[in-house]
Amino acid sequence: MGFLGINGVSKSFGGLRAVADCSFDVPPGSLMGFIGPNGAGKSTLFNLVSGLYQPDTGSIRLEGDELVGRPADEIARMGLGRTFQTPRSFATLSCLENMLASVPSPGERLFPALIGTYRPHERQVTVEAQRLLGLVGLGERANDPADELSGGELRMLEVARQLIRHPKILLLDEPTAGVTPTLQNRLGKLLRILHDDGLTVLIVEHNLGFLLNLVEQVVVMVRGKVLTQGDPDAIRKDPDVINAYLGRRDGDAA
Amino acid sequence: MNWAQLLTTVVTVGSILGVVTLVLNMQYGHAGMINFGVVAYFAAGAYTYVLLTQSPPSSLDQYVVGLDLPVWVGFLGAALAGLVFAAITGWPTLRLRGEYLALTTFAFAEVFHSFILNEQRFANGTRGLVGLERPFRDQITFVDYNIFFAAAALAFLVIVYLIFERIVRSPYGRALEALRDDELALITVGKQSSRFRLEVFLFTAPFAAMAGAFHIWYTTLALPELFTAEVTFIVWIALILGGEGSNRGALIGIFLVVVFEELVRAIPFTSIRAAQIAAELEVAALGLLLIVFLRWQPFASLARVRRRTG
Repeated sequence: MGFLGINGVSKSFGGLRAVADCSFDVPPGSLMGFIGPNGAGKSTLFNLVSGLYQPDTGSIRLEGDELVGRPADEIARMGLGRTFQTPRSFATLSCLENMLASVPSPGERLFPALIGTYRPHERQVTVEAQRLLGLVGLGERANDPADELSGGELRMLEVARQLIRHPKILLLDEPTAGVTPTLQNRLGKLLRILHDDGLTVLIVEHNLGFLLNLVEQVVVMVRGKVLTQGDPDAIRKDPDVINAYLGRRDGDAA
Repeated sequence: MNWAQLLTTVVTVGSILGVVTLVLNMQYGHAGMINFGVVAYFAAGAYTYVLLTQSPPSSLDQYVVGLDLPVWVGFLGAALAGLVFAAITGWPTLRLRGEYLALTTFAFAEVFHSFILNEQRFANGTRGLVGLERPFRDQITFVDYNIFFAAAALAFLVIVYLIFERIVRSPYGRALEALRDDELALITVGKQSSRFRLEVFLFTAPFAAMAGAFHIWYTTLALPELFTAEVTFIVWIALILGGEGSNRGALIGIFLVVVFEELVRAIPFTSIRAAQIAAELEVAALGLLLIVFLRWQPFASLARVRRRTG
């Protein structure tokens, strides 16, 4: 039984079968890569798991609980964190406020907001938020509004916003796109630490240098289906994966 | 020109409409929800107040209900009417965003306006009610009643401002701004955005409705023509002038508009023709002012809320 179990999931948009009878497990505590050509259905699958889309058929379970049919905010509260291919943030809020707005607060009810009983909780979360911002290289930018961040910094902020929620599983959609090598290293290290602490991570990434050095397992998706699954070395050598995704070097015999 | 009188009028009208502007600012400036029907809360409060406090109908009246209840009952009833109206219009529109929400709220307000205009049994329809009582008129002997009333309206505005500021600066206000910036991002951190969307309507509408009761006290009139979409647009213009997203900006905006309108109104015209021309020019000038402010955004720096953390 996987931590995240995807079983026979399909999703069509009009005539396009974006995800077609897709099944795989993400075992608890694993650090897993998720690759495939453009249009393979990786982001669609993320949207299905996080509840933004409803699958046509199939079942998605988190620790045994069915996710299909639940609203996205409830799935998030059940312990699922995700980032987007195009990073999302609260543009006018500062980085620190972005972090604080991402955790439940007693001050998000009207009455406590009026009488101010949320303050001790805020102080506590602020410390944690500052620490996480430091970890993703945004420590100096805590008070800058998110719309002043660069593309790479926004990605880091989005990851940090999810981490402060302490999810059980984190789905990252191309976390290194537009991110400098320094920050990529930092992110890789951070993910390894979180992995050692037991967080389950599933990463969509085209930057294979980064991905294959980081993860233990890779799932390859092609045309809405799982093509194969294995450790990074096996995936690198798999002729089907080379055909469908990695491609051949110039001069290699066809 | 009588400056003391002008000041009293500006404070009174500015305070009453200021509350409505603050309500719109909370809904649009902070939570990003476009409401083109704010006048409906205002009107619902005003007419509920009238319904609860007016004397029972005499033979000349067409209205059916007049409960002759005390002022404070009417005032609370107005607030409740705002809440009910917000629930009726907020619930079915929860899934609507942007321009769709704008159109629907506008339509709801038009339906309500059409109702008070055409239903004569409600408050005499088009003919309306005139010469309504002003509260504590007889008790206030120590100061000019108009000054007392201006002070009361201003006190009401200050209270609403303080409540709204407290909410805006709390995690609640932060969540509203997060909702405005990116609803999907808010949902994916596990927050139920629809709760905030509904609550914003519910907790702000009663204040606009109470402002409606104040408006009845001020004008002593319950006429449908005082509760047209024009009120909505005046408040929108004020909010854009002052810079949406800031309560202080909202107030600067509405007082600018009211000062401007009252100044034009205070000009002693010698002919009806001149007054008509001035009325037309007033609208044109207000439009010009709006364009100028949109271009240079003089109060834009007010818009970002500085929140203390911890």
